[in-house]
Amino acid sequence: MSSAFSAILSNAVAGMTPLLLAAMGGLFTELAGSLNIALEGLMLMGAFSGIVAAHLSASPALGVLTGLAATALVAWVYGKITIGLKANIFITGLAVNIFAAGLTAVLSQQFFKTKSVLAFSLAEPARPFAQLAALPFVGPILFGHTWFVYLAWILAFAGWVILFKSTYGMRLRATGSNPKALIILGKNPETYAAQSIVISGLYCALAGMSLSFPLSAFVPNISAGRGWVALVAIYLGAKKPAAIAAACFVFALAESYSNFAQGSLKIPSEFILAIPYIVTLLALISGALARRLADRK
Amino acid sequence: MSIDRQGMNAREGFKIIIFTLTVSVLLTLVLLGAFASSFPDAVTAFFVRPLTNRYFFGNLLAAAIPLMIAGLGIAFAFSSSNFNLGGEGQIYAGALAAVLAARAGGTNQLAIQMLALLAASMTGAVLGGLSGLLKRYLRVDELLSSFLVSGITVYSVDFFIAGPLRDTSSNFMTTAAIPANSAFQKIYPPSNLSTALFLALAAVIAGKFIMDRTRIGFELKIAGANREFAQYAGIGASASTILPMVLSGALHGLAGGILIFGTYFKAMRGFSAGIGWSAIAVSLIAKNNPLGLVPAAFFYAYLEAGSKSVMLGANISSEIVLIIQSAVLILITATRVPLARLFSGRKKYKKEGKR
Repeated sequence: MSSAFSAILSNAVAGMTPLLLAAMGGLFTELAGSLNIALEGLMLMGAFSGIVAAHLSASPALGVLTGLAATALVAWVYGKITIGLKANIFITGLAVNIFAAGLTAVLSQQFFKTKSVLAFSLAEPARPFAQLAALPFVGPILFGHTWFVYLAWILAFAGWVILFKSTYGMRLRATGSNPKALIILGKNPETYAAQSIVISGLYCALAGMSLSFPLSAFVPNISAGRGWVALVAIYLGAKKPAAIAAACFVFALAESYSNFAQGSLKIPSEFILAIPYIVTLLALISGALARRLADRK
Repeated sequence: MSIDRQGMNAREGFKIIIFTLTVSVLLTLVLLGAFASSFPDAVTAFFVRPLTNRYFFGNLLAAAIPLMIAGLGIAFAFSSSNFNLGGEGQIYAGALAAVLAARAGGTNQLAIQMLALLAASMTGAVLGGLSGLLKRYLRVDELLSSFLVSGITVYSVDFFIAGPLRDTSSNFMTTAAIPANSAFQKIYPPSNLSTALFLALAAVIAGKFIMDRTRIGFELKIAGANREFAQYAGIGASASTILPMVLSGALHGLAGGILIFGTYFKAMRGFSAGIGWSAIAVSLIAKNNPLGLVPAAFFYAYLEAGSKSVMLGANISSEIVLIIQSAVLILITATRVPLARLFSGRKKYKKEGKR
């Protein structure tokens, strides 16, 4: 049982990685005052372009760089249209999601003659702390993972520093809360808003690649709603990085437990797949209930 | 960021539509040139065959039907600043409810249809209404809650279709079909076009009437434009949150039921996937104006028919349509002209709430 317990926790730590990355990216846009519903599509772009470039160049590092660049480019255009042309970010975000699903399928058909799973034979991503995995209990849970997991923690921390401890972050947050103050400072809020979208693109690219690289494959709709769950995590975490990370971990734990339960309990797979959505919804409702009770006092 | 609230005049609107059409046609040509094995064949297949081939043309019209009805559901929600992103689940569950109701018994064709479409609408209404209730009483963001409810619904319907309600005599994951004589009349064989087209047009006209000529429609629009003002005007919070979500869900459910009675006759696993998202796009293109839904739905269905047609001959993925559709969405909004009025309403509401 204890080995099952540690396996569930270990999978949860790995599973929270794409959520945490996407949520931190989404936090940048959220604090800059825009509701970014394109996290899902940006993740898909990153997952696809990264793994395909890694396969073509036979270099995972080049793949990661290409994935970052391609997704940042899409995010840049998305930001340019949304902020520069004052388009409705909800519609452009929806368009990015539709675009990403379409482009990945069309390119996949064009170059690999299939719209289903693209399996590549890339080397597994490095596991930098694998030696420490032998430590009792915490070893397998914390140290056996690929470098994406640790990079996600570092980038989540970096995101917190940039957003809350730097002048740049203060200005970016002012874009959402008090754009007039920025104008008085002689800064253009639109610049920060557009940059926040590109930053979210970079985070989402890594989130997507953290899904496709360990699999060494691209699966259609590999992001599978995680961009939306990340968006919910931002709200549940009240836009604070530590609380967002906690929310991501809870979702990942729910997912990890349900995968485990699938094997031992006889629950239909459809309900297993629904569990992250159920947990997210319940968390959203209980958060609202708690807020309501706090308001009454 | 300030959102310009001035209205758009007709001439500007016309220019944008012409611009969008031109650019999306050019983009389609570029994509076909890049990906198709034979460019002239692909162009004919994409642009001409959906209009000249009787089968493709009828199916094009048939595909526009659920887009109009679900699009009307989106228009009611969005014009009152309620963001129903649960259309996918509402349509799928509505379709399943229609199959169940139709198979419950009865011999009278009209009675079966009425009962089944009522069941479909009620199912959608409950799902949409849930998010309305959560928003009204707990201030849970309906954009997120409706999306999550939809995710749960889709997997649950998947389960029922693949499990307890599966037609075991079929090799596919599908329910049994509705009684053969209970479906809508086909009006353009061999295509799938049925009398449901008239139902969709009637729904759109009724929607226009409700939105522009009734008290309910007026209150919804006021609530959408300015929620604080709506409160001063004595429009209840329930009327401006729960009602539109119920109505929106009901129309999505109805669209699901009509898919069954007009085109599919049984609920297959994942058969309606994507229609909810397309309906959002159609309604946004129509700027939430019910009458605008008709050309917007036909245009959208035309793009889809073209990409299906081109897939047959030219060895090109039908997902090419998604790229074109995303470009249409962006073009139609990416102008200095404010289409985003409803979002300023949303922002006001957020400020007012304690988050």
